[in-house]
Amino acid sequence: MKKNILLQARDVSKRYYAVQALSEANIEIYSGEVHALIGSNGAGKSTLIKILTGAVVPDTGEVLLNGKQIPHGDTKAALDAGIACIYQESNLVPTLSVMDNILLGRQPTLRMGVLDRKAQRAIVVDLLKKHDLNLDPDAAVQSLSTVQQKEVEIAKALSLNAKVVLMDEPTAWLSQVEVEKLFRSIRKLTDEGAGVLYISHVLDEIFTIADRVTVIRDGKVLLSTAISDTTKSALVQTMLGRQLSSEVNALQQEQAEKHLGFVALECRQMSRAGLFQDVNLKVHRGEIVCITGLIGAKRTELVRTLFGAELPDSGEVLIDDKPAHIRRPLDAIRYGMGLIPEDRRRDGLLMNLSINHNLVMAYLPLVTRLGLLAPDLFKRMGQFQMDRLGIVPPHLEIPARNLSGGNQQKVLIGRWLAGKTGIIILDEPTVGVDVGAKADIYKLLRDLADYGTAILIVSSDMEEVMTVADRILVMARGGLVASFQKGRVTQEQILNAASGEMVQ
Amino acid sequence: MTTLLSKFRDKSGRIATQRFFKDYGLIVVMLMVIAGITSIERNFLSLENMIGILYQVAIIGVMAACMTFVIITGGIDLSVGPVMAISGLLAVFTLESTGMSLVSAVCVGLLAGAIIGTINGFAIGRFKLPPFVVTLGMMSIIRGTALLIGDATVHLISGPESFLFIGTGQLFGIPFPILIFATVATLIYFIQTRTPFGLTVFAIGENQEAARLAGLPVLKTKTLVYTLSGVGASIAGIILASQVHTASAVYGNGSELDSIAAVVVGGTSLAGGSGSVHRSVLGALLIGIINNGLSILNVSIELQLVAKGIIIVLALALDRYLQSEK
Repeated sequence: MKKNILLQARDVSKRYYAVQALSEANIEIYSGEVHALIGSNGAGKSTLIKILTGAVVPDTGEVLLNGKQIPHGDTKAALDAGIACIYQESNLVPTLSVMDNILLGRQPTLRMGVLDRKAQRAIVVDLLKKHDLNLDPDAAVQSLSTVQQKEVEIAKALSLNAKVVLMDEPTAWLSQVEVEKLFRSIRKLTDEGAGVLYISHVLDEIFTIADRVTVIRDGKVLLSTAISDTTKSALVQTMLGRQLSSEVNALQQEQAEKHLGFVALECRQMSRAGLFQDVNLKVHRGEIVCITGLIGAKRTELVRTLFGAELPDSGEVLIDDKPAHIRRPLDAIRYGMGLIPEDRRRDGLLMNLSINHNLVMAYLPLVTRLGLLAPDLFKRMGQFQMDRLGIVPPHLEIPARNLSGGNQQKVLIGRWLAGKTGIIILDEPTVGVDVGAKADIYKLLRDLADYGTAILIVSSDMEEVMTVADRILVMARGGLVASFQKGRVTQEQILNAASGEMVQ
Repeated sequence: MTTLLSKFRDKSGRIATQRFFKDYGLIVVMLMVIAGITSIERNFLSLENMIGILYQVAIIGVMAACMTFVIITGGIDLSVGPVMAISGLLAVFTLESTGMSLVSAVCVGLLAGAIIGTINGFAIGRFKLPPFVVTLGMMSIIRGTALLIGDATVHLISGPESFLFIGTGQLFGIPFPILIFATVATLIYFIQTRTPFGLTVFAIGENQEAARLAGLPVLKTKTLVYTLSGVGASIAGIILASQVHTASAVYGNGSELDSIAAVVVGGTSLAGGSGSVHRSVLGALLIGIINNGLSILNVSIELQLVAKGIIIVLALALDRYLQSEK
């Protein structure tokens, strides 16, 4: 197949206030190729994609399709020209059928605007057959698996005669088998002569599917090369901008454990179908353990399962070396566990209730006398936690929704400190938290650990992991793949492990 | 100096007004309605008429107060009408078969409501079925059951006096149903403000998943709010039977909508998360005042229905407007 440049961004720059999100970036996507775009969070990948789809107007530079300039900031023009984008979140209508979704807004009609079901079916069946996609045209999209939904989006892109398909972390929510299936669909696209821009954090995937790779950091394109001319470590190094230090060795896990207190929380061979398999982990009293990894490594699912918010298929949890029977969060709390969920607005805080309410909510029996709420205890307990955590503004009656992200997080942590919580699990504790409150939270966690609390943190923030963790566990594709001791590991090693490279 | 002073006054004044309307918007609406009716018919404001209104409101008021928690959790209970009927019937049948024992009759009536409510709550909490569908089904089941055991006929109550006292008696010159209404409303208000259960109800309505992750007993609480609603309907059914000296399987038709209207006019959101028992009581009173006022003004029954509907919607809109006003 003839390789010609399909889509090209030439010297595009974009500035948001003080931040240069993208500076004079160039990228070319050829027909029939899968082009990987990688870079750490905030490197400028999303800005570049948004410019390509017309969602964002660049300050300088131009976007060309087949050598013809595409008007800036016009998503419809980009779509009509043949640039389709498959976002991480689905853009399908869950209740409609595969057929309706593929042709949504473009269905053939009979007179008076009545849908021509026959013609519609013919088009879709033909399309699916042509591209060898095994989908039932009449199935409702919500009844499909995630990978099948991605296939519907691909079919939609094909029906639009898309010349270029942009895919933003398409495998984030897929299992290994599903990833392979998706790759076959992607290959079909490129066999048709389309170009695919593939964004992913998972280096293994890139080496499987991509023909070329572009690395972006701090808004600049640093490297654009054929995949066969590079290695994983070279890519990691370019992404992070530092030399890979090979002399640092991870200490054996067993050696370190001798110096620690009792095991407060342990799980053995815990599995949930399609999410994670045979996870073993231990958190000691006084220890801060961080689980890091990429999006889609199922870390959140793991800690939610430990806390009883979801149920495992197999495996057991031990608290203080004794088997614990946790079927719901209340059980976990009775064993002295506390969970601070990833999305504090959705799952954590009761936004319209006061700070005081939120602070005492998990331990209502402690503010109760003879089965009735005791206003004095209620207030005293709230006041105590508020002072201890330095929550601002210091007014117990303010509804939680009016607090800043950092203070909301403090309230959630304070909720568990109110009781006899000995094991605290935090899922992405400092997302959306300002620098000052971040430091407060780190100090608080360290203090708690010093008093013997076992702390398990899920974090994607490398700096955070390096700062707070005594021990770092890396999770990838539903399994714990590596364990490192504090101070004996580099970010590069962690990232390598997370993206699937074996670490010795 | 003057500017500073006026600024201060302006600011504090606005804040005070805002808070006032947030809490008392409904009372303002109510006073406006009362003033409107009184300007046409002065007798409306007489003490006898006021007591009359409370007497008429008592039955719906008890049901509305007891259903408030259901609605705060984001649910609804459509089965309360038939529960009224079956509770009245069962109480009367028990009176006849146990040789007129008041206590057992009342207990059987209340138990019926508690059991039906608990089944509703369990289906909704445990099996995560939509409250609207569950209680709609229950509404039909209970109405049918009531007709099976009581036919469509009216059963006369011959006594004892103590049973008839519930609906028609007076204590210190106040009709007994009003006292029951006041007691129930006070009790529910106390549960709302002073018990962990009341707090849990709000937490569930606000964010059920967050409540679960905070270890609150979601299933138990969701079940109990329907139990309470069922018991409220039973109390209402017993008062009604005693008031009219009869029980029938067809009583209470449409009363589910009247009590939901009272709760909603009180400002409790059907989406859950906000509301209060005292506001439901005010809502019931407002509807009672409107009903009574329209009768006093000799509005025909057909027009009353139309006017009532319009006034309810307007009252709710005005209350929302006053709450959002700065």
